[in-house]
Amino acid sequence: MLPGSGVAGAGSPAYVTTKLDEVVNWARRSSLWPMPFGTACCAIEMMASAATKYDLARFGMERMSFSPRQADLFICAGRVSYKMAPVLRKIWDQMPQPKWAISMGACASTGGVFDVYSMVQGIDTIIPVDVYIPGCPPRPEGLIYGILMLQEKIRGEAMADPSLRAEDPARGGKPNLPPDVINQIALPYGNSTHQNRVSGLVSTSAIARPSDRQP
Amino acid sequence: MADKNFDEALSGLETGAAEEQGAETPRGEAADEASHPSVPALRARFGDAILHHTVFSGDEHVIYVGTERSKEILGWLAADPAQRYDLLVDLTAVDYGGGRPLEVLYQLWSTTHKRQLRVKSTVVLKDLETDSVVDIWNSADWLERETFDMFGINFRGHPDLRRILMPDNYAEGHPLRKDFPLRGRFSRAEQTRRALSMQVEDYYTPDELHVGGASSSNATAQPNAAATAEAARHHEGTPSRPNNAENWSPGTEGSAAAAGSGATV
Repeated sequence: MLPGSGVAGAGSPAYVTTKLDEVVNWARRSSLWPMPFGTACCAIEMMASAATKYDLARFGMERMSFSPRQADLFICAGRVSYKMAPVLRKIWDQMPQPKWAISMGACASTGGVFDVYSMVQGIDTIIPVDVYIPGCPPRPEGLIYGILMLQEKIRGEAMADPSLRAEDPARGGKPNLPPDVINQIALPYGNSTHQNRVSGLVSTSAIARPSDRQP
Repeated sequence: MADKNFDEALSGLETGAAEEQGAETPRGEAADEASHPSVPALRARFGDAILHHTVFSGDEHVIYVGTERSKEILGWLAADPAQRYDLLVDLTAVDYGGGRPLEVLYQLWSTTHKRQLRVKSTVVLKDLETDSVVDIWNSADWLERETFDMFGINFRGHPDLRRILMPDNYAEGHPLRKDFPLRGRFSRAEQTRRALSMQVEDYYTPDELHVGGASSSNATAQPNAAATAEAARHHEGTPSRPNNAENWSPGTEGSAAAAGSGATV
């Protein structure tokens, strides 16, 4: 029974009243067809999620769609090199609306440990991302939790809001973020400051206790 | 050529050439030039062209040669019946940094005599050029392309010397060199913009796009003229494909957008 709906009329024909958003969002979130974009070890966990033990099909995702034309959930599982970036963007552009994106794992979300010349520093510089799943790699439970979070997000969408599903064809194949934002979010952080000779940190040694942290 | 090699390789197997030297080969501290049959032979034939000899890791014999005669020496190692290093296991380069010369490394294996030999030739940073060995070992083709891509070493006489790992329009240099910054030379925004400006057609030559297609006539026979011209353009530092001709000059980050070449971000 859909939330907020009610059955009227005891006999036949019975009918259901509900809000259009409820019906549409229920249909959309209950049959997300993922487009798996597995490039690294995260893809192994994604395959495990789809296999018997974790069984992604429980949530209406039994059909991994290996064609972007029939997919509405983009799962990027693994690091993406700059050489792969136009492929990722093209696949995203080929997916019809409505579509959502999950960035699975540290590398897809931020570049992870690969803060190097060849690696995209987070796929949100290329495509809009709805859910980021941390982990290296995330366990299948993590991916399933991320998908459930996405389902909750879809539940709150409104058809009357055109901005949600709006897409500018002229922006196809272009970066998702303006250059200064890309530069800002790709700044070195954490352990990667070890690699930066001018990091400005007082100490880059391991932090053993919280009291050792620099103020 | 190939058939003759094959016959001689078979005859080598019959005589059991590998067993003759057998278990008595000195290792570790005891290993010297005489413990590898190829080293005295190289000394006798090429004399001063053999610059140096070391034994690494017990029984890994390393020969240092100059770039001028490296191809001649390698060709002899491959062709001479007593050597017959017919398998090029690996070809790569090493950059030790600090302005020291790069070393081009040839790892050889003789399937006839069951021996291995490592040959290193040094190229100075000012003149990163050496002779291609593709006509000695065909397996050197992609290995030399990779070495060119990563280190910027120009292999003279290579049939199709262009990048193999990095995109064709990559303009930041050669990533495995010690003077290459870890994150590259351009800003992340510029790297992203350049990456997304690549089309599938940019990664392949027209011949490669037609693999398995109708016009396989010119794709199979000769080293294609298009790719050679492509490699020549690449060495001049000009943009490789017309549709990627961007008004980009290194060191002026952010000016690409002002140049207005599709950088509408």
